[in-house]
Amino acid sequence: MNKIFSVAKWEFLEKIKTRAFLISMIVTPVIIIAFAMLPTLLENHETDVTKLIGVVDSSGLYFTGLQQKLKYEKLPGDLPRYVLVDLTPDSQATSYKNDELVKHTDEKVFKNKVNSYLMVKNGGTDSVQLQWRSNSTANYKDIRNFEQAFNEVSVDLKFKKEGIDTSLKKYLFSQVDIQPIKISKEGKDKGSDFLTVFFSSFVFIILLMIMIMSSGGMLVRSLLEEKSNRLIEILVSSCTPTQLLTGKIIGLSMLNLFQIVIWGLIGIALTGAATISPEIFENIGLDLVYFVLGFVFYTGIFVGLGATATTEQEAQQFNSYISMILILPIVFAISAIQNPNSEIVHILSYIPLTTPSIMLLRLNISPVPITDILTTILILVVSIFISIYFSSKIFKIGILSYGKRPTIRELITWIKEK
Amino acid sequence: MLSVKNLIKEYKNVTAVNDISFDVEPGKIFGLLGPNGAGKTTTIRIALNIIRPTSGSVLFDGKPITNEFANDIGYLPEERGLYKKSKVINVIQYFASLKKLDKNQTTERAKYWLAKLGIGNYRNNNIEELSKGNQQKVQFITAIIHDPKLLILDEPFSGFDPINQQLIRETILSFVNSGKVVILSTHQMETAEKLCSDILLLNNGKEICKGSLTGIKRDFGTNNVKIEFEGNASFLNSLPEVKGVDLYGIYAEVHLKKEVKPAEFLRKISDKLLINQFSVIEPTLNKIFIDAINNSNKK
Repeated sequence: MNKIFSVAKWEFLEKIKTRAFLISMIVTPVIIIAFAMLPTLLENHETDVTKLIGVVDSSGLYFTGLQQKLKYEKLPGDLPRYVLVDLTPDSQATSYKNDELVKHTDEKVFKNKVNSYLMVKNGGTDSVQLQWRSNSTANYKDIRNFEQAFNEVSVDLKFKKEGIDTSLKKYLFSQVDIQPIKISKEGKDKGSDFLTVFFSSFVFIILLMIMIMSSGGMLVRSLLEEKSNRLIEILVSSCTPTQLLTGKIIGLSMLNLFQIVIWGLIGIALTGAATISPEIFENIGLDLVYFVLGFVFYTGIFVGLGATATTEQEAQQFNSYISMILILPIVFAISAIQNPNSEIVHILSYIPLTTPSIMLLRLNISPVPITDILTTILILVVSIFISIYFSSKIFKIGILSYGKRPTIRELITWIKEK
Repeated sequence: MLSVKNLIKEYKNVTAVNDISFDVEPGKIFGLLGPNGAGKTTTIRIALNIIRPTSGSVLFDGKPITNEFANDIGYLPEERGLYKKSKVINVIQYFASLKKLDKNQTTERAKYWLAKLGIGNYRNNNIEELSKGNQQKVQFITAIIHDPKLLILDEPFSGFDPINQQLIRETILSFVNSGKVVILSTHQMETAEKLCSDILLLNNGKEICKGSLTGIKRDFGTNNVKIEFEGNASFLNSLPEVKGVDLYGIYAEVHLKKEVKPAEFLRKISDKLLINQFSVIEPTLNKIFIDAINNSNKK
C-alpha cells in the first residue's frame, strides 16, 4: 500500500511540473471558452458594418415602404444597419424578361456595386415571390429582417387598397411566442435553451476527451521512457507490477482532479462575471462522478495498451483509436438532444466505452431515472476493475518485452498466464 | 547465501534458461558470464522475482524470494537511464521510498553517497544536466542506498572512465566485505577476472563451466606460452606440438599440447623466429571464455 502511494506521489509531483501539463492547464480552458463565446462574438462583430442592399421591384410598390421600415434597424452608434438602393431598371428597359432582369442585376453584384439584393417578382399580385440574391452565404438575420419588413409593407398596402384603418393592424396581428421550459423534480422551472444544453453537455464531454487524450498520452510516453531505459525493471524489482500500475493510475487521476478543481475555479470566476451560464454547473456532482469514473476506466485501458507499445508511433496509434471511440458520442449528440429517450442513446449508455460521455449528455438534457444512474455507475465501476485486471496482466509481461509489438494471439496468452 | 536450483525458463519457442544451478556466498563476488543471449538477463530477472521460472527455485538464506524481499534487493540494469527532467535528490528519494527506506535516512545516506562519489554539488540539479558518467553514479546510488542484502550489478563499469571505475570497484568491494551477496554480470573478462572468485559461464541457456576461478583455470590447462617476436610467425599453427595460436601482430599466445614442455618448444622455434620474450602464462578468462563458447557452439 505504501508503495502504491509512493508511485502515485511521484507521478503526481513529477507530472505537475512538466511543461506539457502547465500548457494543457492553461490552453484547454482558453479553447473551451473561445468555443463558447466565439459564435456570439462573431455575430456581434459582423453586424457592425452598414450594408448596402439592392432592391429590384418592377411593380415599384415596395421600395419606399421597405426603406421606411428598415430605417429603424440601427447599429450601435446610431448608424443605419441597411442602406437600400433601387436597382430596378428604367422604364425603357422594363421590356426585360424576368430571366434577363435577374441576369442583368446579378452582374451588378459581380461588379461589386452591391453584395446582395432583394428580387421582388410579380409584385402587387397574390403570387408575389421574393429572392435574396447574394454572392456570399446569406445571413439569416438579414433575411429575417427583410422578410418581416416586406410582409409588413405588403399588409399595409393591402389595408390601404381595401380602405381599412392601418391602426387595426397591430391589434389583428399581435403575436404570442411559445416559451420552452424544462421541468425538473425540484420544482424549479428553467428555460431550456438549446445552446445552454449543448454547451453544458459538451463542455464536459470535450473536457473528458482532452483529459483522457492528454494524460493517456503522457502515461504512455512515460511508460515508453521507463521501458526504453530499463527503469521499469528497477521499478518492478522494487514493487509488484500491480502496485506500480495502480499507483500510476491514482497519481494521474489525482493530477486531473487537481486540474478540474483549477478549471472549476476559473469557471466559477467566469460565471460570476456572467460570461458563462450557471446552468452549466447544475449537475456538477453527477457530472464529476461520471467524469472521474470515465477517466479511470480509460486510463486503465491506456496502461495496458501502452505497455505493449514499443515506439512513439505505436503509442500515437493507440491514442487515435481511443480518441475515435471517445468522439463517437458526439455523433449521437444532436439526436440525443432532440430525443433523449431514444433506443440508441439508451443502449450506448450501457456500453462502458461510451457510458461516461453519453451520460454526461443525458444528465443535461432530461431528468435521468435514478435506476439508470445507479446501473450505469455500477457498470462503470465493474468495467474499471475488469480493465485494470486485464491491463495488469498485459502490463506485467508487456513492460518486459522489447522489440516487436505483440500480436493479438500473444496478448491472449499473456492474459492467460498466471 | 543465494541458491539457485535447477532453474528452467521456457518460452513458446525457446528455452532461455536450461537447468542452471549455482550458489552465491556472502563476502564473494559471483560472476555471471556469457555472450549476448546466453540467458544472463533471464536468470537475473528470475532472481529479482520479476518473472517466474518454468521450474526450479531461487532461495535466499533458505527462503524463497517473495515480494517482501524486494526491499533487500539492489539492482543496476545494464542499460542506464533515469528520469531526465527530475532532480537528482528526488529520483534517489523515489527509489529509496520504493524500498521502504524512511525519508530522513534517505536524505542522510544520499548526502553521504553523493559526496563519496564526488557529485555532492549536483544534489538539486536535474538529471539531464549531469554528464553521462555522473548520471550513472546517481543510478548506482539508487541501487545501493537501501543497503541491500542482495546486490545484482549488470555491467557496472561500462561508461565509466578509469578513475571512476576504481571508485565504483572500491565501493562494490566494501559491500562484499561487509558480507553482502553480490552478483556481477559482465562481458568484460578482465573485470570479472580481477573481481570474481566464483563464476558461471552460460551459453544458449546452458551452463558451460562454473566454480571457483582458480579451479577453472587449473582445469583449463596451463600449458600456454606467450612469445614476443619479430618476423613471420604464421608457421606456428602448423607445428605438431601446437593446439592453437592467437596471433596479435608482435606477440602470440600459443596453446601447447599437454605433453609438450615449454622449454623444448622454445628451442625448436628459436632458429625460425627472432624471439624478444618468451613466458609461460596462465590462460586468461578471456581465452577460457572464447574457447569454451566456441567449443559449445561446435557441439
